[in-house]
This record gives sequence, structure tokens and C-alpha cells, in this order.
Amino acid sequence: MIGLVLRRLLVVPPVLLAATVLVFALPRLADVDPARAVLRARSAEAVPDPATEARVRASLGLDASPVEQYLRWLGALLRGDLGYGYVSRTPVLEQVGGAAAVSGLLAVLALALAAAVGIPAGAYAARRPGGRLDRFLGAGTIAGVAVPEFVLAPWLVLVFAVGLGALPAVGWGGPQHLVLPVLTLAAYPGALAAQLVRAETAMVLTRPHVLVARAKGLGEHSVLWRHGARLATTSVTALAGLFVAGLLGGSVVVEVVFGIPGLGRLLHQAVPAQDLPVIQAGTLLVVTVAVVAGVLVEIVATLLDPVLRSAVDA
Amino acid sequence: MIARRRGRYALAALATATALLLAGCGGGTGGSPDPAGELTVALQFPPRADYAFDADDGARLQSLGVAETLTTVDDQAQPAPMLATAWEQEGDSWRFTLRPGVTFHDGTPLTPDAVVTALSYVAGVDAPPRAIRDIGFTVAADGPDVVRITTAEPDPVMPLRMSSGNLGILAPAAYAGGGAPAYLRNATGPFVLDQVDGAQSAQLVRNEQYWGEKAGAARITVRYVEDPQARALAVQAGDVQFAEGLPQAQVEQVRSSGAEVVEYPNARTVPLQLNQSRAPFDDVRVRQAVTAAIDRPVLAQQVLGGGAAPAADLFGAAVPWGETDPPPAADPERARQLLAEAGFGPENPLTVQLWTFPNRPELPTLANALQAMLAEAGVRVEITVGNYEAQEPEVLAGNYDMFLNSRSYLSDFPDAASTLTSDYTCEGSYAIDQYCSPAYDAVVARLNTTVDPAQRQQLFAEAAGLLTTDAVGVMLVHPLNTAVLRGATGFTPDPLQIEPILPQLTPTG
Repeated sequence: MIGLVLRRLLVVPPVLLAATVLVFALPRLADVDPARAVLRARSAEAVPDPATEARVRASLGLDASPVEQYLRWLGALLRGDLGYGYVSRTPVLEQVGGAAAVSGLLAVLALALAAAVGIPAGAYAARRPGGRLDRFLGAGTIAGVAVPEFVLAPWLVLVFAVGLGALPAVGWGGPQHLVLPVLTLAAYPGALAAQLVRAETAMVLTRPHVLVARAKGLGEHSVLWRHGARLATTSVTALAGLFVAGLLGGSVVVEVVFGIPGLGRLLHQAVPAQDLPVIQAGTLLVVTVAVVAGVLVEIVATLLDPVLRSAVDA
Repeated sequence: MIARRRGRYALAALATATALLLAGCGGGTGGSPDPAGELTVALQFPPRADYAFDADDGARLQSLGVAETLTTVDDQAQPAPMLATAWEQEGDSWRFTLRPGVTFHDGTPLTPDAVVTALSYVAGVDAPPRAIRDIGFTVAADGPDVVRITTAEPDPVMPLRMSSGNLGILAPAAYAGGGAPAYLRNATGPFVLDQVDGAQSAQLVRNEQYWGEKAGAARITVRYVEDPQARALAVQAGDVQFAEGLPQAQVEQVRSSGAEVVEYPNARTVPLQLNQSRAPFDDVRVRQAVTAAIDRPVLAQQVLGGGAAPAADLFGAAVPWGETDPPPAADPERARQLLAEAGFGPENPLTVQLWTFPNRPELPTLANALQAMLAEAGVRVEITVGNYEAQEPEVLAGNYDMFLNSRSYLSDFPDAASTLTSDYTCEGSYAIDQYCSPAYDAVVARLNTTVDPAQRQQLFAEAAGLLTTDAVGVMLVHPLNTAVLRGATGFTPDPLQIEPILPQLTPTG
């Protein structure tokens, strides 16, 4: 088992090194002059003249060769120095760190809510396939999966902020600002988790060992959670792994609509402004989380699934 | 039975939802002004460059009512006193007399040396603001209450340049660190910038020692909300008492919630630019045909839902010299006739490419409407919506047919010489239309020696008239600005966007 964990973790450094090359190269392949873009981002209607462009290019270190720029950036990155944003001229570590903390909090809360509601709902619906609860959940999860964030978010604002006046429409600061964004973000993974758990549990409940357990007099509750829904946790864990990177990267729609200073909104502003240090640091963080989450999910899934675990041990 | 019950549940849910929505309506701007009260406002554009004076953010400190400049402008777009009370030209210099009794928010007095420190800093950065770039700008103290600003050539508009928000004056302590100036609690305006939370929010506190009229609110929380729909919902929810830039589709809904919506002109034009360096738009008859085929009132009222005014000229109602008469109606018959004279018709149809970009969402919408209007006149238009950054080098090199653009015609201070020169003279740096007319250049050249603001404004109108006569492009619409108040009063629209917005706002109890 320890061997498996080490083998999986050893993959991480080379993958991340390759990611740094891509993260550094991709914005530059877009054929946009960063110095010109920075000038325009600082001053929207600017028509940059060559002399000013040259001064800005030199001051940003963009007149060095791409390889030199990459090595300089990688060296600084390894020292934990992410430099300053071209446009905002504030430390990138501060910008990306603060934004990632906000998106991370939203992601954790949204996934916790999705799991807390989706898993039991799916499990109980599976007890009587075709029953009232199952049909109600079916309709609810289809809506949860189908309604996009840019539709759901304004509707929640319209009902809870404009209609009831119970929650703020936009902003960030107190716990009350978390409710609507978390509800919006949790809808899709929650609905998907419920569908998954419902399908797998319903299938497991028809298997012989469950019938045997029932015949031995095991209570319905125990049958459901010990034998039925337990197996579905492997799939749900894999699903959570998929969502972690996406949610930590920040939902651009949710963060823009609710005015939340997360990573999605930061990148949403940095990309059109060609603020390369911010784009690079933000993208690399998301890639790192995706890679690490992928590896962790694989390890956890192996630990949870007796069949996989015995295959590894063998 | 079950079906009927389910139907009742659905009705009840619908009724509840409707009741909830209606509960959010009502309220209004009524109530008496309460200068001791506080406000929360939602502004459209967050600071992108940490309120840097050499970026657009500099003007943000001005519009918040925090930083002030040597001059401002009056409603005729002519220079007016601010931190300087008088000015006079002496050859290649201008002498500005400073207002007595002004103190910075840190308690230090406004002195010529403080002005020199502030203006020298912004003139010395990599990319100085356009208002003072490439003119050989230097500044020095000239006596106990005067600063002397010198340029390489005599400059006719220095008092107007000094109204640019990029040239705000902070206390000397703000520049002591050597880097970007420390903007907290260091300016002179009616509001003290007390606290900033990145691009998220800012806290303003009334400056009780202000030299002029005091601000209407004791404290303002500024929230930067980029999404227009979110700003509209925030007003309706009562989260904010003032917001700028509403989506046109929601104006009526916001108004019906009891809010006051103000629409006012914006110094911006959406032009359809036509490449005159090659066929077919090197022929004035083709350009006139395109102009005749386009129904500008329909574009403004129907296509953009009233979010813009139809343009008759480069300049609109935002400036005193702008054309406020409506443009002529579309005349497809005349368009077909002009095209026939130029050799185009059913046997030799004209097909052109139209490029535009999506950063301003109204542009692709307008492009589709133009396609339909020009088809009526027999012109086939193929639309490409792409990245502006990639399109710009091509259009500047003259490798295009039609380009749908959006352009502010004032750059940082209310004088149009810069736009008229860069966009339309033979040697212009942003001459997308590839227009070159000695007669036009001669009019613009007269601006170099014309000091009198009224005479300059006459020349602006004359130059714009030549552009219209020569059908240089089709000036389609002038977008409108919007602002909304609910629980506040006192908003005074300023199309020139020089006057600060927030100091006038007063909470209503």
C-alpha cells in the first residue's frame, strides 16, 4: 500500500514541471504583445507609441529571450517569489493567495453541502425506485444538473435578496454573503452525487448479499448504509476529486455575479489585461490542485474499494 | 385526486414566488436628506492598477471625490478653478496660482513644492498619462503660491490638461516611499479615502476640513460590482443606494421598483469605419451609399433598446460643440442609386467584410443589424467577430473593409484635438479609416495655436463637419450612461466625467 502511495506521488513533480512549461508558453503563443496589452489595460483607450512600449517592455523584463524569461520565472517560483502583477503592480502571491483562499472556502462549503444533501437523498430515493421520493428527486436532480449557474444565481438573488430581503444580493464579508454563492455552486455536484448514489445503491440493493442480510433480520437503515450506499462512496469520491480543482479555480460566473474576490474573478480580469504573472500563478495553482487532487482521489478510492485494494496488495 | 393536489401545490408555489418578487418592489427615493447618514454604492469599474495615477485608475480617485487636480471644467467644457484659482500663459510656460488655505488629509498644507513633487512623479513614470505625455512637461515652484509648468512648444490647452484625473495632487508624504504614491489619507478632496480592500471595496469618510462644499454623506462604502445585472439587483434588494451602468433591459424593472434612473450622454461614439486606402471605400459615392442605407435612429432605439442616441456627427450631446440634431433618415433608394453610379448593382453586387469585437457587447448586435440594413441597399456584408488585439494591427495597416469600433472622443481632458489628430489626420497614429485630406489637416493644424476655448470648440465642430461631408465613416450612435438612486439624492450627471460623482450624494432617511 505504501508502495502505491509513493508511486503515485512520484508522478507529481514531473507533471508539475511540464505544467510550468505550458503555463508559461501558452499565453505567449496567443500572439499578443504583453507590453502593449499592459499599456492598454492600464489606460483603456491608449494608442501606445513605440518608445513608451519599449520602456514598458524593458521595465517588465520582456526584452529577454523566452527561455531566459522562463528560467528566471521558474527560479523565482521555486524561491516562492511570484513577483508583481503587470497591471495591478501589487504582489502576485498576495493577489493569488487571497483569491484562492476565498475560492477554496466556497469550494469546501459547496462540496460539503452537495455531499450532505446529495448522498442521503440519493440513498433514500434508491429504497423505492419509482416511488414518490424517487420521482421528486429525479425531477430535482435533472433541474440541478441542467440549470446553469448564470441562470440559477440571478434567480436565487431575485427570490432571497430582492423578494425576501433576507440575504445580500452581492458582496463579500460576512457569513450571510456565503449562502447564495454556496447554494449556486452546490446545485450541480449535489444533483450529480444524488443521481450517482441513487443509481448505484438501487443496483446494490437487488444483489443476493443484501437479500441475505435482510433475511438475517438486519434493519432497513443498516442495509441501506452498510451494504447499499457504502459502495457508492467510491464513485462520489472520484466525483469530488473532479470538482475540487474546478471549484478552487473559482467559478467565474458565480464570483462575477456575486462580486466575490475569488480566483475565478481574478483570472477573469487578468486574462483580457494580459497580466502574465497573475495568469501564470493562478493557472499553475489550479493545475497543481487538479494533479494533487487526482492522485489523492486515486489513493483514497483504492483504500475504500476492497476489490481494488486486494488487487494492489496482491 | 393526486394530480389535482399537485396542481394546487404548483399554483401555491407560483403565488408564493410572485409574492416574494412583489415584496421586493416599492420603496423609492422619497424621504428627507440626512447628511449624517451613510451610503453604500455599487460602481462599475474596479481599480485595476491599485489606483495608480499613470493608469485610468487615477481618474477613479477623482471621481470618488478623493484626489483633486489644479483645474476642473465647467459645463461649457472650459477650464475652471480647483486647487489653482488662476492661470496665465507666458510663452512656453503656464503659471498656476494655488488656492490658499487648502490642507491635505494628513494635515499638511498645499504648497508649490507639494505640487511639484506630485506632478514630477507622474511625469517621470515609464508611461506618463496621455494628458502630459510627449510634450516635454516640466514643473517648478515659482514663488510662494505659484507653480510654473513648461513644455517643449507653447501649449494652448495646459489649463484643460491639468483637469485630467491622472494629475491628482497628493501630500509630499505620499511620495516619500520611492514607489507608487501612498494614496490613503493623503489627498485634498471632500472625501478621505480611509480604507481599501483591493478591487473589492473602499471606505470614504467625509473631510470635515474641506476647503469647499462639504460632501453630502458622512461615510460611503464603495463596492465594485462588474456585472451589470448584479448592480441592478443590488439596488432592487436595497443593498446599495446608488449604482452606475445599468443593463438597458433592466432599466424599466429597476424604475418600477421605485428607484430613480438617470440616463445622460457619454462622450463616446460607435463608428462604422471604412477603409479608404482601397476599393470600394476609396470611392466617396460608396461611402455615401453606406451612410444612406443605415437607419441610425432604429439602431439607437430598437436595436440597442434606447441605450444610445443616434449619432449625426463624431461629437454628440456630451460636449457643447457636439451635434444634437438627429441624423437624416435612411434612404435605401438613394443608397442603391449611389452604388449604381459607382458601378455596383444586381449584375455587379458589392460584397464587403465587416470586422468587430465582442468586448463591448453592443457591437456584435449592431453588426447584425447593419448587415440587414445594407442588404436592403444591395450590399452583402460578411461579419467576423474576433479579438480586438489581433484585429488592431490589421486595421491600422489598412487590411480590412469595414470595422465597427467604439471610441471615446475625449482623452482624459475635454479637448478633442488629440482624437481629431490621431484618428483622422494623414499622419495620425490611430488613423483606421486611412483618411487623408489637406483641407481637414489644415483645420486641425489651427488648433496648435488657438488658445481661446470657444474658438477651439468651433474648430472641433468644423473638423467634424468635414468628416461628415467626406463620409469618412458612419457615426452610428452615442451610447448613454445610466445611474440609479434608491435611498439617496443629489446625483448630478456629468457627461465629461470630470466632476466627482460621490460628494453630491446625500442619504435620504
